Amino acid sequence: MLSSYLTMAAILFCIGLYGALAKRNAVVVLLCIELMLNAVNLNLIAFSKYGVVPSLTGQIFSLFTITVAAAEVAVGIAILIALFRSRGTVEIDEFDEMRR
Amino acid sequence: MFNIEVTGEFVAFFVFAVIIISGAVLMVSFTKVVHMVISLAAVFLGLAGMFVLLEAEFVAFVQVLIYAGAVSILMVFGIMMTKHQAMQDEPKRPVHEALSAIAALCLFGILFYAIRITELSVPEQFQAGEDNTMEIGKLLYTGYVIPFELVSVLLTVAFIGAIVIAKKEAD
Amino acid sequence: MDSIYSQYAWLIPLFPLVAFLIITAFGRSLRATSIMVALTGSLIALMLSILVLFEQMGSGEEFSERFTWMTIGNVQLSMGIEVTHLTSLMLVVVTLVSFLVNLYSMGYMKDDERISVFYGYIALFTFSMLGLVLSENLLTMYVFWELVGVCSFLLVGFWYTKPEARAAAKKAFIVTRIGDVGLLIAILLLFWYMPDHALDFASIKNVFDGQTGTIAEGITTLIAILIFVGAVGKSGQFPLHVWLPDAMEGPTPISALIHAATMVAAGVFLVARTYDIFEASQAAMNTVAYVGAFTAIFAATIGIAQNDIKRILAYSTVSQLGYMMMALGLGSLTGGIFHLFTHAFFKALLFLGAGSIIHAVHTQNIQEMGGLGSKMKITAWTFGIGALALSGIPPFSGFWSKDAILSTALDHNPLLFVVGLVAAFFTALYMARLFFLVFTGESRSKAHAHESPAVMTVPLIVLAVLAVLAGFVELPWSGLGFLGGWLLPGEEVVHHGSELVMVISTAVGALGIYLGWLIYVKGTISRDVVSSRVPGLVKLLERKYYMDELYHAVIVVPLRGIGQALQAVDDYIIDGVVRLTGAAAVWTGRAGIRMQNGQVQTYGLITAIGLIVLIVVIVGRRFW
Repeated sequence: MLSSYLTMAAILFCIGLYGALAKRNAVVVLLCIELMLNAVNLNLIAFSKYGVVPSLTGQIFSLFTITVAAAEVAVGIAILIALFRSRGTVEIDEFDEMRR
Repeated sequence: MFNIEVTGEFVAFFVFAVIIISGAVLMVSFTKVVHMVISLAAVFLGLAGMFVLLEAEFVAFVQVLIYAGAVSILMVFGIMMTKHQAMQDEPKRPVHEALSAIAALCLFGILFYAIRITELSVPEQFQAGEDNTMEIGKLLYTGYVIPFELVSVLLTVAFIGAIVIAKKEAD
Repeated sequence: MDSIYSQYAWLIPLFPLVAFLIITAFGRSLRATSIMVALTGSLIALMLSILVLFEQMGSGEEFSERFTWMTIGNVQLSMGIEVTHLTSLMLVVVTLVSFLVNLYSMGYMKDDERISVFYGYIALFTFSMLGLVLSENLLTMYVFWELVGVCSFLLVGFWYTKPEARAAAKKAFIVTRIGDVGLLIAILLLFWYMPDHALDFASIKNVFDGQTGTIAEGITTLIAILIFVGAVGKSGQFPLHVWLPDAMEGPTPISALIHAATMVAAGVFLVARTYDIFEASQAAMNTVAYVGAFTAIFAATIGIAQNDIKRILAYSTVSQLGYMMMALGLGSLTGGIFHLFTHAFFKALLFLGAGSIIHAVHTQNIQEMGGLGSKMKITAWTFGIGALALSGIPPFSGFWSKDAILSTALDHNPLLFVVGLVAAFFTALYMARLFFLVFTGESRSKAHAHESPAVMTVPLIVLAVLAVLAGFVELPWSGLGFLGGWLLPGEEVVHHGSELVMVISTAVGALGIYLGWLIYVKGTISRDVVSSRVPGLVKLLERKYYMDELYHAVIVVPLRGIGQALQAVDDYIIDGVVRLTGAAAVWTGRAGIRMQNGQVQTYGLITAIGLIVLIVVIVGRRFW
């Protein structure tokens, strides 16, 4: 059963990866990053039940992850809004400041 | 792997998996951002269901509260406050997208292969305790009290930072 | 009497070498001085050589001295000198002709601005030739052998602004190289098979003279023939003769020194020096004899149809060298060396005379000369003496040496005797043609001819005297064969004088001259009597039996083809790889520029791909 959950998490992670790499709207990219984080959560919890040493630690960890993800989304959206104010767009391929 | 007996857990897993995958696929293929957020919410809910299946009721509860509730609403706000109607998704970068798809597929292939060849030992029966929430609470306030406090600081800093960043520049 | 001077024979080549070094170092600014330096160097060498010769003619013992050059494992390579009767004779021939040519060039090359370079080359050549003669073993001899080849190349191409001279120099170098490879292989074979890897002539004599079966007969024949191949290249024997006539593009004194008297005779000298190897193999001897005889008649017939005065003499040289080879092949070492000795003088004389004529009329075409006899008396007389000597008219030197060869041929091989006679007839005919066309009749030249200066005529006179007298060192009567007895002291002097041969050869020579006189002076026989009846034959002779064309078609063109194919390989494959490498770097750079576009997603994509590649490489290693 564990491998089913792991496969499930892998599928989710890869869809998130594709979206994060290919989508042009910054909000969508943020959404996809959330997907990837959730895939990690799924892994953690699956291991907490079916892992070699089952324990609650996995669940604790996933709680932390959810907390950090929430903070990340808040800051991310704030940055996006600031960017939108200064540049007038959230199309990610409009930003190439790293080249300069 | 596929010759497992059809149990209740398996059926439930299958249903949730369908919800999650179709939600995720729809999310990356929709053109309107609002639709994407809704399908994302479906994914989060499906995941919460899976957590229940994995006997992590508290985490499932938190998942629904934070992800399906707070994060989705935050995203909607983000969409509202930025320009989103110009989501014409003509593939401006076909090579880039194709390569991204290939990279994602390859990664999945590797992960799948790794999962398949790994000998996953059958664990002893996991005793989550009568009250899952109580156990987590005990652990959080004993063994993990310092990380817990740190996370609370992190959250505070993040929210203050978010407000500062998103605030209109007062000149 | 001990050998006193012979011990110092190693000094002889040293003087020309010093002269060469001085001229090369300072010659550019000091024209007159460099001439004097070269003259002095060759004069001292000549004096020493004469002293050595007299000592050797007296009771002086043969002398050899050597030191170890290098030690490779157990093998020692040595360098050294050896003075025998043969080498002392060669020393005098080389230094004498060299000195006279030095003298002559003062007049002939007077107006050339690179005269000091010219003298430097001559000095270097003299050094190398003397080194070749004195060498005590085959290896050092080979070194000098190549060195004279280089000097020949430099001097033939001396007027390098002329394309013909450049082509001739390259041809001379490359064609002789074919022979040199043969000689090198022969030396390697000898090195392999000789006891103690000895390469010195004394050991070779010991091993082959006894013929104790130290070296198998087949190998002996192979070595002998390969040595002969080297001699064929250097001495212009068929089929490697083609370079010698072309080498006439060089200055005329050079033709006299290198391409008549000394370097081309080096092949004959080489065979004579390693004669014991040849004597051990009858097959090799026959090869030498037949190749020599064929060359003699082959070149003589070409000589009839040529119009360039130097080319006629060049073919004559080839023909006479063929004679020498034939003599050696027939077992007459004395005959070959004797002819070499006399030929060196009269052929140098003829070339220097030709140079005097060219100097006067500024053309080399004998059809444009004529009537020069009255204007250039000394040249005409001396040239006449040379021509008579070459034609084999008694009592000039050429008669005696040719007679020695012909009588040997009659004894051993009547067929070759006939060939020799025919060649002698043609020789007389083309010399008569040359002489009469140049010196008698109406003047067909626009140039105002006049006698050459004394520095040019004095060598002519000296050589003319020698051309008359040189034959008397070996007379075909009992007790008068000094040279033979002296060269081969141990062996019984075979007296081979035969009045019949003398009469026949004289008659043939005289007949040739008479025929020439009839055709070119009297006009009794029309000049085009042959060409009108068999035009193809004359054409064939004029084009030298199409040898050059044949070589061009058979060797040069395919080689060029291969060369071009290899060039194409270089251009397209090797250069292509190089260009591809460069282009790959450029492409990589361009791709890098495109990747570095500042967009986070691109970087993320590259990171993901990199991660995948990393996993595949690290994990995939398990499956290899």
